[in-house]
Amino acid sequence: MTDFLAYGFVQRALITGVLLGVSCAVLAFFVVLRRMAFIGVGISHAALGGVALGVVLGISPMLAATVFSVGVAWVIGWIAARGRISEDTAIGVFFPTTMALGVALISLSPTYRQDLMGYLFGNILAIRPSDVWVLASLATVSLGILTLFFKEFLFLGVDEEAARAAGIPAEALRYLLLTVLAVTVVASMKLVGIVLVSAFLVIPAATGQAVASSTHGMLTVAIVSSLVSVVGGLWLSWLWNLPSGASIVLLAATLFFLAFLAGRRRGR
Amino acid sequence: MSITPAVLVRDLVFAYDRDEAVLRGATFTVQVGSFTALIGPNGAGKSTLLRVLLGLLRPGSGVVQVFGGPPGDRSRPIGYVPQRVRLPAGFPLSVAEVVLMGRYGKLGLMHSPKDADRVHVAEALVRVGMDGKANRRFGELSGGQQQRVLIARALVGEPLLLLLDEPTAGLDPAVRARFYALVCDLQNSHGLTVLCASHDLEALSEHADRLVLLDGDVRTEGPPSVVLESSALARCYEFPAPHDHT
Repeated sequence: MTDFLAYGFVQRALITGVLLGVSCAVLAFFVVLRRMAFIGVGISHAALGGVALGVVLGISPMLAATVFSVGVAWVIGWIAARGRISEDTAIGVFFPTTMALGVALISLSPTYRQDLMGYLFGNILAIRPSDVWVLASLATVSLGILTLFFKEFLFLGVDEEAARAAGIPAEALRYLLLTVLAVTVVASMKLVGIVLVSAFLVIPAATGQAVASSTHGMLTVAIVSSLVSVVGGLWLSWLWNLPSGASIVLLAATLFFLAFLAGRRRGR
Repeated sequence: MSITPAVLVRDLVFAYDRDEAVLRGATFTVQVGSFTALIGPNGAGKSTLLRVLLGLLRPGSGVVQVFGGPPGDRSRPIGYVPQRVRLPAGFPLSVAEVVLMGRYGKLGLMHSPKDADRVHVAEALVRVGMDGKANRRFGELSGGQQQRVLIARALVGEPLLLLLDEPTAGLDPAVRARFYALVCDLQNSHGLTVLCASHDLEALSEHADRLVLLDGDVRTEGPPSVVLESSALARCYEFPAPHDHT
C-alpha cells in the first residue's frame, strides 16, 4: 500500500477521485430520487461526441466534452419539458446519435485511437498534474451547488408541482441540476470512463438506499461507499493493471450487493 | 362595502398550447372561510383551474384573483394538496421531511430550516392526527395517511387558502369520510378557505358549503342539495337526472 501511495499519478488520481466520489455520491442521491439514471447514461455517452469534436477541432477534449455534454443535457431537458416527446425517448435519440458522432469523428483521426480506451473505461495514468486543479475545482463547485440547493432539489424531486407553487424556481434549478450532472460526468470521465461513469451516478445511492432508514443515512452510506469504491478501485487498478473505471464500478457493485443482502436481513 | 372573496374567477379561458380551450369562460367566486367543492367529469378543467389559481399556468384571458391579488402572489400563501406523491420504491424520506417541505417557500432559496420550522412541523402533524409518525418512511404509509401528511405539509406554510386536487382518489369510503371530516375541522378551527376538486359527490355533499359544477365553464353552482338535484349535473356526468321524467 505504501508503494501504491508513493506514485505521483496515484496521488493525483486519489485527490481527484475522492472529491469526485463525494460529488458523484450526492448527485446519485438526486439521480435515484428523480429517476434520472437513463439521462446519466445519455449524457455520459454524449461526452464521447464532445471528446471527438475536441480532437477534430484541435481544442481540449475535456473542454469540448464539457460544452457538448452540457448542451446535450439542456436540449434533452428542453425537449422533455415541452411534453410532446418523453424524456426517455429524447435520451434514446441523443444517446446513440452523439455516440455515433464520436465514433465517426474518431475514425477520421486514426492516431487518437490509443487514448480511446482510457476515455471509455478510465485510466489511472490519465490524470496529469495540470488536470488535478481543474477536476478538483469542478468537483468542488458541483458539490457546492448540490449542498446550497439541497432542499430545493429535494422538494422538486418529491413533488415538482407543489415546489413550483411554493415559489421554487423549478425550471432554472432543473437546468442547473442537468449542468451539474453533465459537468460531473465529464470530470469523472478520465478516472471512471464514459461507459462506466453512469453506473457511478446510481450505485452509491442505491447502496445507501438498501441499508439506510433515513435520507441522511442514505447520503452517508452513499458517500462512504463511493469513497471506498474510488480508493479501493484505484488500488486494485494499480495492483492488477485494470482499467480504473472497471475496478471502481466493480467494487461499488460489490458493496451494493453486500448492502442489499444486509438490508434484506434487517427487513429493509 | 363588499368583502373581497378568497377566489374570484371571471370569464377565464385557458388552452394548452394550440389545443382546444380547457376552460371556456369559467366564472365563480369562493367566499372567505367557506368549503367549496369543484366537481365535474374528467377533462372538465378542474385541475387546470387549480393550477391557474396556484400561479403555475397563465390564463389566456379573463380575471383571476386570490384574496384580491394575482395568482402566485407569495404574500397570500396557498396550501396545495395533490392527488398523490409518488416516491421511488423504498426511498427513505421521512414523514417529517415531507412536511418540512411546506416551509421551504417561506424560507427562501438556500436558507436551511431552523428549530422553529421543526416546531411548525410537529404542530401540524398533531393537527392532522399523525403525531408519533414523524420518523416513519412516507412511502410506507397507507394512502389515507399519506394524504394527511400532505395536508400537514400544506398547513406549515400557514396558508389562508387550501387547494386540494382530487385528494381522495383511490381511497376507500371510510378513509374518504375521515379525510373530509379532518378538512372540515381544519376549516372551522383555523378559518381556512377550502377549494377542493373531486368526483366524490357523496362525501362533498356532506361536508362542502357549496358545489361548483365545471365542464369547461361553470354549468351550475350553489348548495350541495341544489346542485346534486340539478339536470346540469346529470348532463355532465351522463346519468339520469333525479327529476328527469322525459
